[in-house]
Amino acid sequence: MIDDYTRLLEATAEIEDKAASDAAVTKLIMHLKSAGRVKMLPQIARELRKVAARRHALRPLVEVASRKEEEAALRAASSEGIVARHASVNSSLVRGWRARQGGRLVDRSAKRALLAIYQQVTRA
Amino acid sequence: MQSIIERIEREIAAWAPESGAEETGIVRAAGDGIAEIDGLSNAVLSEMVLFDPTFDRSLAEALKDPRPLYGLVLNLEEDGVRAVILGDASKIYEGMLVRRTGRRLSIPVGETLVGRVVDPLGAPVDGKGPTGATELRHIEREAYGVIDRASVNVPLHTGIKAIDAMIPIGRGQRELIIGDRGTGKTSIAIDTIINQKSEPAATRPICIYVAIGQKESKTAKLVAELESRGAMEYTIIVTAPASAPAALQFLAPFAGATIGEYFMEQGRDALVVYDDLSKQAVAYRQMSLLLRRPPGREAYPGDIFYLHSRLLERAAKLSKEKGGGSLTALPIIETQEGDVSAYIPTNVISITDGQIYLEANLFNKGQRPAINVGISVSRVGSSAQTKAMKKVSGKIKLELAQFRELEAFMQFSSDLDAETKKRIDAGRRMTSILNQGRGAPLPFEVEAAVIFAATNGYLDSFSPEEVGAVEARLRDFLAREAGGVLVAIRESREIREESEKTLRAKLDAFVARHSGTSDVQVSGGHSMS
Repeated sequence: MIDDYTRLLEATAEIEDKAASDAAVTKLIMHLKSAGRVKMLPQIARELRKVAARRHALRPLVEVASRKEEEAALRAASSEGIVARHASVNSSLVRGWRARQGGRLVDRSAKRALLAIYQQVTRA
Repeated sequence: MQSIIERIEREIAAWAPESGAEETGIVRAAGDGIAEIDGLSNAVLSEMVLFDPTFDRSLAEALKDPRPLYGLVLNLEEDGVRAVILGDASKIYEGMLVRRTGRRLSIPVGETLVGRVVDPLGAPVDGKGPTGATELRHIEREAYGVIDRASVNVPLHTGIKAIDAMIPIGRGQRELIIGDRGTGKTSIAIDTIINQKSEPAATRPICIYVAIGQKESKTAKLVAELESRGAMEYTIIVTAPASAPAALQFLAPFAGATIGEYFMEQGRDALVVYDDLSKQAVAYRQMSLLLRRPPGREAYPGDIFYLHSRLLERAAKLSKEKGGGSLTALPIIETQEGDVSAYIPTNVISITDGQIYLEANLFNKGQRPAINVGISVSRVGSSAQTKAMKKVSGKIKLELAQFRELEAFMQFSSDLDAETKKRIDAGRRMTSILNQGRGAPLPFEVEAAVIFAATNGYLDSFSPEEVGAVEARLRDFLAREAGGVLVAIRESREIREESEKTLRAKLDAFVARHSGTSDVQVSGGHSMS
């Protein structure tokens, strides 16, 4: 039941007309009140927060080791199918860039390379 | 130092960035050894995933503990997967990056594993360094089909008289060892492993002992015993102790089967002991409940039967075309209060080719091994029994069953006729002959000769109380004075006419020498009259 209401609200969020979207939410709350299910609201809100976090994670994200690498990184990420307008700086990458979208990750950072070498050397 | 620098330089020169994208997911929740992962929509069942602790740390922090942690995908769900964590679950945190490996769970196998103690993922735990095994094999695989198999026709001698005579085991068979705790189940398995030392090296099976959910001290003791008896030369121990995560306890028997299959496919014989599958079932139940799979009888999941059947079905005797190797399985099941009708015991009884049932009552009476002959059976082993053993052990089982009935009847009546008393004495004598302490497996030719003596009346002149001590003397006597006959039995695997004549003559001499003398000291301090 909670899943159904969460999905309904998730679909409502897609509606571009804000007034219509608000009206749908108001109607749902009224329906819950009349059905004696108001106590479901916190759970629905929690589920929606999870959905929002999941959607946030699905957004394209490009990270670069330094600002000067941004342009090249965005171009390279785009050629891998991950299109973002800006890149954020993550100095832990040492050099290079990495990009994520949905469940896809492209990692061209020196950090990854160094760790791979370290693991190979210590394993041998 | 220079060599290390060179090696690092070589690695740096050879490094090239991996092309293409990889599929990743995020840990949504983790607990009790299970991780819920968002994403990984293309992951497949039994695929290994890698929890990456380095992704959101600085390089310096990442280098402190860069070891990846693996998980095994067991549930595919609408918006993610659930995986069991194969290692320290406390290192998993919400939001952790998880990578697909594209590999199904595999372990390294090879000759170099012999003599080693490894965990269910093939990593050494005996402190002797890397195992050197390089060939990776999937831990889960389909068992061989009908066409690839041959019938079980070669014996696997346990060195335990009662088993080799009445419940013979063949190479490629699955024989269950079942009984309450402390009834000697592990002892039978260990004696069987130790006894393989007496086999010629060419036909000696590689033994794999899988310890599931056991105390590490017990496993350490066992390894020490095998080492002291020279049995580690052909033995591999796979251990998932009680402190290991449930996932590893669930995987351990499959790892043992995978290692055994490697040797089987080389055309060799292998023996795998699963000690014990009750604990594996409990570990699997725990995992299944945490994975939110619906519980069934005794809260075990619906596929618990399939778990054991697919494991035990991997034991096989391969056809000549496939190399003729074999994998014999000795699964162990622990019962509660002797209840063989519980869920897991009945499942495994129905899967295996027979069972050796150990009874606490018999154990407490001093019978070793405490086998209940009435409900122990080997469904395929008799066709693998040697002619020699077949010849000498023909009626033992029936006679012992009759003896047990008479023995029960005897409790109600003190007046017994001569015939009944004779039968009871014969039964007692045979029970005494089959009594065998732990860690004393016998070569099969000695077993055959001793049972020949017992079934042909050579020990009738001794009282049942004396027979145990007489048997020990008989074995010494045979080793000393009938070595030729024993060699002939061992080589021909039967008691030919000539051997029989000589054996009878030697036994007559033994009886003449020991009967009516007082040199046989029996337990309890009596002497022969």
